[in-house]
Amino acid sequence: MIDQDVADAVLRAAEGRGSLVLAEVRLEESNKRQLSVKAGEVSSVTSATDAGMNVRIVLSTGIGFASTNIISKEVGKRLVAQAYGLAKNAKRKTPVSLSSESPVRTSWEVRQRQPLASVSTDEKLKFIRDIDKSVMRTKVKVQGRFYSLSDHEVSSHFANSEGTHLNSYLPRVRMSAVNMVTAKGETEQSIREWGASGGWEKAGEWDLESVLPSEVLMLKKQIEKGKKVATGTYDLVCGSKVVGIASHESCGHPMEADRIQGREMSQAGRSFVSPEMIGQEIGSKYVTVIDDPTVPGSYGYYAYDQEGVKARPRYLYKEGRINEFLHNRETASKMELKSNGSSRSESYIREPIVRMANTFVAPGDYQEDELIGSIKSGVLMNSFTEWNIDDKRFNQKYVSREAYFIKDGELAGPARKCVLEITTPGFWKAVDAVSKKVEFEAAECGKGDPMQGIPVCTGGPMMRLRGVVLK
Amino acid sequence: MNDLKEIAKDVLEVSLAAGADDSLAEAIESTVHQVRYSNSQIDAVNSWTEKHVALFVAIGKHTMASDLRDIANAKESARNLVALAKSSPPKETYAGIASGRFKYKKSKLDSRILKLDEPSKFAHEAIAGAESEGAVNVGGTFFARHRRSAIASSGGANGADETAWVELSVRAFSQPEASGHAVSCTPKLSDMDARRTGARAGELSKMAMNAVTGEEGKHDIVMQPLFIGGIMESTSSMMSAFVVDIGASMYVKKLGKKVASNEITFIDDPTISSISARAFDHEGVPTRRNVVIKGGVLKTYLHNTSTAARYKTKTTANAGPLIPTPFAFPGEPTAFHPVVVPGDWSERELIEDTKHGLYLNHTWYTRFQNYRTGEFSTIPRDAILKIEDGEIVGAVKNIRVSDNMMNLWKSVDALSKNTQEIFWWDEAAPPSTLPTARARSMRITRSA
Repeated sequence: MIDQDVADAVLRAAEGRGSLVLAEVRLEESNKRQLSVKAGEVSSVTSATDAGMNVRIVLSTGIGFASTNIISKEVGKRLVAQAYGLAKNAKRKTPVSLSSESPVRTSWEVRQRQPLASVSTDEKLKFIRDIDKSVMRTKVKVQGRFYSLSDHEVSSHFANSEGTHLNSYLPRVRMSAVNMVTAKGETEQSIREWGASGGWEKAGEWDLESVLPSEVLMLKKQIEKGKKVATGTYDLVCGSKVVGIASHESCGHPMEADRIQGREMSQAGRSFVSPEMIGQEIGSKYVTVIDDPTVPGSYGYYAYDQEGVKARPRYLYKEGRINEFLHNRETASKMELKSNGSSRSESYIREPIVRMANTFVAPGDYQEDELIGSIKSGVLMNSFTEWNIDDKRFNQKYVSREAYFIKDGELAGPARKCVLEITTPGFWKAVDAVSKKVEFEAAECGKGDPMQGIPVCTGGPMMRLRGVVLK
Repeated sequence: MNDLKEIAKDVLEVSLAAGADDSLAEAIESTVHQVRYSNSQIDAVNSWTEKHVALFVAIGKHTMASDLRDIANAKESARNLVALAKSSPPKETYAGIASGRFKYKKSKLDSRILKLDEPSKFAHEAIAGAESEGAVNVGGTFFARHRRSAIASSGGANGADETAWVELSVRAFSQPEASGHAVSCTPKLSDMDARRTGARAGELSKMAMNAVTGEEGKHDIVMQPLFIGGIMESTSSMMSAFVVDIGASMYVKKLGKKVASNEITFIDDPTISSISARAFDHEGVPTRRNVVIKGGVLKTYLHNTSTAARYKTKTTANAGPLIPTPFAFPGEPTAFHPVVVPGDWSERELIEDTKHGLYLNHTWYTRFQNYRTGEFSTIPRDAILKIEDGEIVGAVKNIRVSDNMMNLWKSVDALSKNTQEIFWWDEAAPPSTLPTARARSMRITRSA
């Protein structure tokens, strides 16, 4: 049980020092359990609890942040002194300012139908072994079969010197799977992830005893029947996994305001987007990309961000135009805006920074088979393996994990290792149709220094791109 | 240091008394000060302190690990962990923890790093250095880190270690798309020359001005140590016996075989003075110099006790953290400090000897379409300089190296005699000591 008196004492100590733009304190307790299984055998089992706190002091001269894995009034006061000194000595040329936000006093939680803490390690092992057996039953040769299941419950109390007091409880469950499929002396890989906020009931919804056998059978077929795509210009249908990664990499990241303003310049990089590009065309009118932390049960869910700002959907690209950046209070203030609740951190030990949540393309009005049926000669890229993008988020590459040729509106056999290497506007401007059904994939997004892994979803419907070069 | 040794010993004794057959406790205290700067001014100054105990217990083959972060109640948590382990399913491949009469080397500690009272000055010096060479926008980080650890195990481990180091990363822009990147990391404060590091980044940013889109095709590439650091994370990770075991490595079934050119000798050496020097691995085995590739031939994988038993060999003292870390497999053996043995070329000679190629400052986002075969791509960033007839003739941008990692290492035909210690963010990791290298005829691609 978090002692909220500690937060009050910390804020009083901070306010006693004067000249504050803002003081914040976060107290956090968490439980994390993890089970890894390799080829049906237990590989590692861990269980850990954690508790700690941070203090962030914002002065006009700078921002100071101090954290430790102890919660107490005495330690909190020491963190105040430390963070205050760090903020004071930063000696910024331009004063720090924050967007004005209304204080809130509330609590939020994600409820569990089957509490994660009630599930035994044996039960989790059975869950994984049943999946492993279903993969083995396919008779496909799969090396590795490394499956890792983890759950994480985080309780926190956040307060600031403006009067905000927030309590939260967020349980999450996650599964990752590495499958290396061999056939005819060749190998294909599948590295996938599932995640949700909620209880153990979420793991059952993934239907992995069906999904993973299908995945390894598909890879075997890619090896045995797949043919290389001849380099040329094609119509391309991207499945939701490809649409999702493109939404994340070439819309979500370049629309992070801290990156646009240069704060990540020496790590994750800057952005091809600049503040004056709001309203500029970046894609076709069929492209709307949303980042929405409020998707119920999603892996990237939260109700309030880590500065106490209420979460809401952000329309990043809207009908093909650059529309809204992801902001925290500092970046919003620089553009004379309000924060849109994008401040997140991996845990109390790290500073909160601008992050995505669940980033996806909004649905259109096509059926999936209409998209495929409309193409005379093209390719369906359902999922990807290798991918990367430059640090200004302009040049990206996706290599297919699952792809098929399309001939006269019908799927015509597997296309192997199809490569799309394209610019950001080149990708989004080629879209001329979007399907109705949105699907999500869970992922860990890396950003910050030290690297902070943050739970997110990527997703979207199917999209049709006209006349793109495939290699 | 005695406080941490006491904590590790107490937790070990409690877990053994509670019924553990094997137990391993590593008490760690770390303090980190970080200065983040961009747009040539400081954004935030962060400080974090953590004290915790990583504990592993085994009852027969029933194993369990935990990170005990509430030190005041660590003994109770240790007892609870043993109880949890008793009811956990067995790990059939568990082969015990390392045992022996271990002797540890004492690390050298530069106590001046512990007394740093104004880390921001290094950021200001780096910015000034870059600006002196013509940069107009500078960003980066400065870290001062102090780490103490003590380990105790039922296998006989009983040691302590203390290290401190500083790291500086400087990215300088002379134009919106012309940048240079330089890093400096050292366990000796007197070796940290922030102004010079900044100047190096600034100089590269000037050389990268007015870049034109690069051409697809085969190019010789001259890779700075920072670039090689960017591909070292995946290369060294694939040497882990665990990663080999799950088939996600280009080194599967390659022991004793050619995996690089004759020029490449790769050593994991946490015993030399570096920011990742350490006295023992996470099983308490004294660290050692492991020659992994000699003259291009793969000599060993990296092992902990369990993987070594599986491969009928001995641990190489590369046991990784007991507790899962983000973006890594839990419990996998890990490289601590990769070293590529230098050659006898000067960097100037490497450029002069290259007829048609690219000089690459830095890279990021290295991803594999097939770990088993090594097909990958990586995105050069910062200064990408065009070499024609032995001279740098301009800068290019928007390219990607799309090739095969095994082929890259097999194509290295020249190494510089100078090396540099490299560590940047989590991309050029783990910390490594590397020369400049030339690889012949690498495939360059770009957006259509």
